[in-house]
Amino acid sequence: MKALLNKKIIFVSALLIVAAVVFTFSTSHPRVDFNTEVKPIFNKKCISCHGGVKSKANFSLLFRSEALAPTESGRPAIIPGKPEESELIRRITHSDPEERMPYKHAALEKHEIEILRNWIKQGAEWGDHWAYLPVKKVTVPDIESDWYKNDIDRFIFTKLKEKQLKPSAPAEKSVILRRAALDIIGMLPDSALAANFLRDSSAASYDRLIDSLLASPHYGERWATLWLDLARYADTKGYESDYGRNIWKYRDWVIKAYNDDMPYDKFLTEQIAGDLLPNPTDAQYIATAFHRNAMSNDEGGTDNEEFRTSSVIDRVNTTWEGIMGTTFACVQCHSHPYDPFRHEEYYSFMAYFNNTRDEDVPDEYPMLRDFNDSLTSKLNELTDWVKQNSNDSAANAIRQFVRTWQPSINSTAVDNISNNIIENNNYALLFHNNSIARIRGVKMDRSDKLIMRFATWKDAGVLQFRLDSANGRLLKTYPVNSFKGNKIVEIDYPVVDGVHDVYMSYTNRLLKDSIEYGIMFNWFYFTREFPAQQAPGYAKMKKQYWDLITAYLPGTPIMMENPEEWQRKTNVFERGNWMAKGKEVQPGVPQSLQYALPKDAPANRLGLAMWLTNKQNPLVARTLVNRLWEQLFGTGIAETLEDLGTQGIAPTHVELLDHLSWKLMNEYNWSMKKLVRELVTSATYRQSSKVSEENKQKDLFNKYYARGPRIRLTSEQLRDQHLGICGQLNEQLYGKSVMPWQPDGIWLSPYNGSKWNANKDAGQYRRALYTYWKRSSPYPSMIAFDGSQRVVCNARRIRTNTPLQALVTLNDSAYLDMARHFAYRMKADGGADIAKQIAKGYERMMFKAITNEKLNVFTNLYAKALEDFKKNPERTCEMIGIMNEHNNASSAALVVVANAMLNMDEVITKN
Amino acid sequence: MTAKEVHNQKLVKEAEHAVLQAHTRRHFLKESAMGLGALAFGSMFGSCGRSAPSTSIPFDPTHPLLPKSPPFFGKAKSVIYLHMAGAPSQLELFDYKPELMKMDGQDCPPSLLEGKRFAFIRGVPKMLGPQANFQQRGASGAWISDHLPHLATVADELCFLKGVKTDQFNHAPAQLLLHTGSPRLGRPSMGSWVTYGLGTENQNLPGFVVLTSGGSFPDAGKSVWGSGFLPSVYQGVQCRSEGDPVLFINDPKGMSRDVRKASIDAIAEANQQEYKEYNDPEILSRISQYEMAFRMQVSVPEVMNINNEPEYIKEMYGVQPGKDCFANNALLARKLVEKGVRYVQLFDWGWDAHGDNASNALDVGIINKYRSVDKSITALLLDLKQRGLLDETLVVWGGEFGRTPMMENRNGAQNPYKGRDHHTEAFTIWMAGAGIKKGFSYGETDEIGYSAINGKVEAFDIQATILNQLGFDHELFTHEFQGRPFRLTDVSGRVINEIMA
Repeated sequence: MKALLNKKIIFVSALLIVAAVVFTFSTSHPRVDFNTEVKPIFNKKCISCHGGVKSKANFSLLFRSEALAPTESGRPAIIPGKPEESELIRRITHSDPEERMPYKHAALEKHEIEILRNWIKQGAEWGDHWAYLPVKKVTVPDIESDWYKNDIDRFIFTKLKEKQLKPSAPAEKSVILRRAALDIIGMLPDSALAANFLRDSSAASYDRLIDSLLASPHYGERWATLWLDLARYADTKGYESDYGRNIWKYRDWVIKAYNDDMPYDKFLTEQIAGDLLPNPTDAQYIATAFHRNAMSNDEGGTDNEEFRTSSVIDRVNTTWEGIMGTTFACVQCHSHPYDPFRHEEYYSFMAYFNNTRDEDVPDEYPMLRDFNDSLTSKLNELTDWVKQNSNDSAANAIRQFVRTWQPSINSTAVDNISNNIIENNNYALLFHNNSIARIRGVKMDRSDKLIMRFATWKDAGVLQFRLDSANGRLLKTYPVNSFKGNKIVEIDYPVVDGVHDVYMSYTNRLLKDSIEYGIMFNWFYFTREFPAQQAPGYAKMKKQYWDLITAYLPGTPIMMENPEEWQRKTNVFERGNWMAKGKEVQPGVPQSLQYALPKDAPANRLGLAMWLTNKQNPLVARTLVNRLWEQLFGTGIAETLEDLGTQGIAPTHVELLDHLSWKLMNEYNWSMKKLVRELVTSATYRQSSKVSEENKQKDLFNKYYARGPRIRLTSEQLRDQHLGICGQLNEQLYGKSVMPWQPDGIWLSPYNGSKWNANKDAGQYRRALYTYWKRSSPYPSMIAFDGSQRVVCNARRIRTNTPLQALVTLNDSAYLDMARHFAYRMKADGGADIAKQIAKGYERMMFKAITNEKLNVFTNLYAKALEDFKKNPERTCEMIGIMNEHNNASSAALVVVANAMLNMDEVITKN
Repeated sequence: MTAKEVHNQKLVKEAEHAVLQAHTRRHFLKESAMGLGALAFGSMFGSCGRSAPSTSIPFDPTHPLLPKSPPFFGKAKSVIYLHMAGAPSQLELFDYKPELMKMDGQDCPPSLLEGKRFAFIRGVPKMLGPQANFQQRGASGAWISDHLPHLATVADELCFLKGVKTDQFNHAPAQLLLHTGSPRLGRPSMGSWVTYGLGTENQNLPGFVVLTSGGSFPDAGKSVWGSGFLPSVYQGVQCRSEGDPVLFINDPKGMSRDVRKASIDAIAEANQQEYKEYNDPEILSRISQYEMAFRMQVSVPEVMNINNEPEYIKEMYGVQPGKDCFANNALLARKLVEKGVRYVQLFDWGWDAHGDNASNALDVGIINKYRSVDKSITALLLDLKQRGLLDETLVVWGGEFGRTPMMENRNGAQNPYKGRDHHTEAFTIWMAGAGIKKGFSYGETDEIGYSAINGKVEAFDIQATILNQLGFDHELFTHEFQGRPFRLTDVSGRVINEIMA
């Protein structure tokens, strides 16, 4: 084995030498560029032993300060200006293989050694990677061509010239119509809009089309789809049982934000810290569900704190990967191997997220309880009364408690003293007879009321509450008798001040068995009597308060900060292990990007949002621009959307990326619609996507944009387009997730009896993004087309082309159903003549006339199918599915044709 | 074959592989100056903490599953992984502990509880003696309990790993760790890595097939066969005994094969015309995917049909055609491997022997689980052997963790039936075939089966060993993602050389 490996190395080395000979002609460097010349060598050849993970011989190349510091030998390995005295050069050129670096690997190539030598000679200056420097205004290239529509084209044209490529002709009207609609609204345009555009031969017709599309409410649906991948939005919690999660209002918030063209800085701020804004609106609370989309684990026996921690980690990783195009996850265990982020900085960043109220409890608290207008006006009346008769802070506390039942103590956080348990270690506190439990460190704060939510199914129980020990001062004896479901009660006790442990005991003579439980708790809230007892209207208001608290309402999980006394400390996790807590850290952003943190930013999520949306932040605008570009052109300007760092694939047009990022922040004030508009009105975008032979040879993957994008539709675009073609698309906006048809037996989660109850009504024809998304068993046809599983942030979908996709659009009953409706539509459109029917159908899909060749293909298919159905009437019946006016051979044959037409490459592709 | 011949053969293979790689890369590199585009190459350098040139996997998006040679000659061409989801008890099957019997009913010593985390045990549980009779079997003398009378007859084919450990004591995370190398969601599963690295030999069948039984998916859901950050084409394809054997494989009702053929031809023709206009090679690839889909529609139902197997084979496995049962899946595993499928993953749900009800009690429901797999696993081994496939098929059996030597006392009270809690410190996995020692046992637990005391292995070592049998060095088999090379075994893993034949 060993010998084998050596041989392999020799073989590989031989190849490398050959390669080196070919490539090493130019070795003289006027000025060595650290980022493009030096850093790649370090990353490739050195940094795995001398970087963020390991720094062998105490030598690391991650930061300049480390690289120039004395190593184990006592001397620095790099001496600026003096390559020959630098140990680094000595070691990479050493003749003794035991001494020569990289250790046990092929030597550096000659030209690489020259680069390093020259670089040290020139002072060993460090350079910051482009993506970590603030976006600056870029000079737009000044070459003339009448091809230009906007500045994008100047950047693209410059590169095309450099690569000796020529732009393609503009796409035909029918093609650009379909492309723009699929890109902007994610589905085909309605027939009036299409007809207007195709008729209108004026120069401004395209701009008018774009404006109409951007103004469509379907715009928000299309772009929300993209964001939901980043937000890992799903309708279930994940892990074993994968129970449902009621969080669709967040999805609707995203759609609406796009439709309102909410500026991206506000869009981010509300999602990261909406709850910390002054007097947050419902919408701002719902926005924070962004980070409540992290998975939670209800599996019996799991530790809530472990999975709370894992949600917090997920929030950190999502924030970096989704919003800043940076892989931060590896910093969890050690300093970043290549990029300027230290191990400890991961945890400082985590500290921003580590003080939210959520504790991985099955009820998903904190939730914003759904208030309709009537409840809201009652609440306003109530808080106005409190403001008037007491004070603002009491009113605010009441408002918060009524809407969220917070800040309350989850029963799972209570300590067992005797005879009680936390069911499944994570579910709820339950009492046997003679149980005692302790609620630790309650800030009583002159309170005299305990409000608690609980359930009991045994009469004759007695609860007692005592201070500071199991036989401490008795606060209250409270008898409890059985009732159905959960109940919220108020228990009064003499005023207590200070911080105390509250001991709670339970006895019940009816509980004979020591195994039997009598009572189960949900949460506890210690508070003061409803204020202003003397004021007029008190009784009415107190009742109103109580009615609002106890109203049975669904809610949406939101972010909410812990009160001061419950603040958690954040520690470094040694090697990423959450049980091995290292030194304590405070909220903060990495040192290397500290410059973008405004001086007045508070040390909480709001401060974090200020840092993200500061125009100095180098990553946020670039990541967004890159992503929007990828959505339209198929590949990002930097291909690795998830990593703009030194290991990401270098951008093809870095100046263009910066130009658009600058413009987004400074001219468009973060308007995403304006940015999309700029992209789709460029001549670059409007090119034909036909591939010339020359273009194919020089740029197969269209990295330089000498032609328009040509990309297979996403799973969502595909479904929405097909529903539109067959005339069944339900254009209703917003609302609960729906269950379109899916095969039986897809859902089989353990301990979870939930069933897929397919919508039989128009709900089954809603757009793809409203499809109920179960993390452990996502909708199969969308997964086949590279839909994201939505378990963690997915920054980029990788397109594949597989036979399983063909099987979906050929055979999935949902797609067959569409083919049927499409066939009936063709019949209605085309009259008696089959050729005319097919031609009409094609026009509906492609907005242009079908060629004679294609028409022949499908009329032949029709004839063949017709013959088959005529001979086999039972097949006709099966193909149509039900007995209706279409139950005849010609309709059945047309369904076959429709099914084939919906599978044409040009139909499932954005041309 | 002499050792030298073997060595030479490896070198020939290796050279072929190098040529293939060079060719594949050149083919794609010449197309674009950057050489990347839609191509994602595996990393050229090491993972966290390692700096060796890694195995570079050329990913051809138009033919992602074409067979590729591994970096070195692997003994295994295919893997069949039999996962008993819920985690079977080592103490009732393979890890014979007479000392534990002596402690039966006594309070658990505090030393076994201090500083330990359990899913359900609280306070001081009682010890629980083995709920089985053990005998030594075959020439190798392996201890196998009476619960597995059939498997006992093939003891000399098996290689036991008795010192397996994990650090996850909940099902979903432990299953993920074993199959994806991380207890959290989002990483590619082992079968995805394998098909990514090796492609598959039969283009008319999926390369990575998953079969489930027991009425429920494994606890970690479909993520245990997901492709994580690898292209989705490498995710496991679930084949089913009920409904379509593969989702959407059957033509719509009323569509004859002839009409389907005609429609595939029509689509191809229309696409050809489009290709003439657009000249985009992606269109040709679409045409070939549709042709492949058409072929799969024949080959999948064919291979999934167990009715046409001879009676004695059906009898040997104990199949129940049309039902969701492990026996059917075991037979299907053999059929699939025979047809060139690379990785066959079976999950059988229902092994979680807590004893909080009769169906999961060691002395009631779990006895039925033993019976439901014993005969078919034995049949699978013998069937593979009689076809000469066992030498090139690695069979792995096990759960995601072990069970405690203590009787579970859920929430501090004795459970109504005999059961054991989840246990991370020791369990048994066995392997057979494809270059693994026969009739061998590696690793040992203490006298009550609580902790592994020697021959300790963990999920990463199992993964490293499986990859090794397929011809991969697990440390060099990486994929570039999020700016760093990832590998199945993360930053750990050791090939268990002690069990190599």
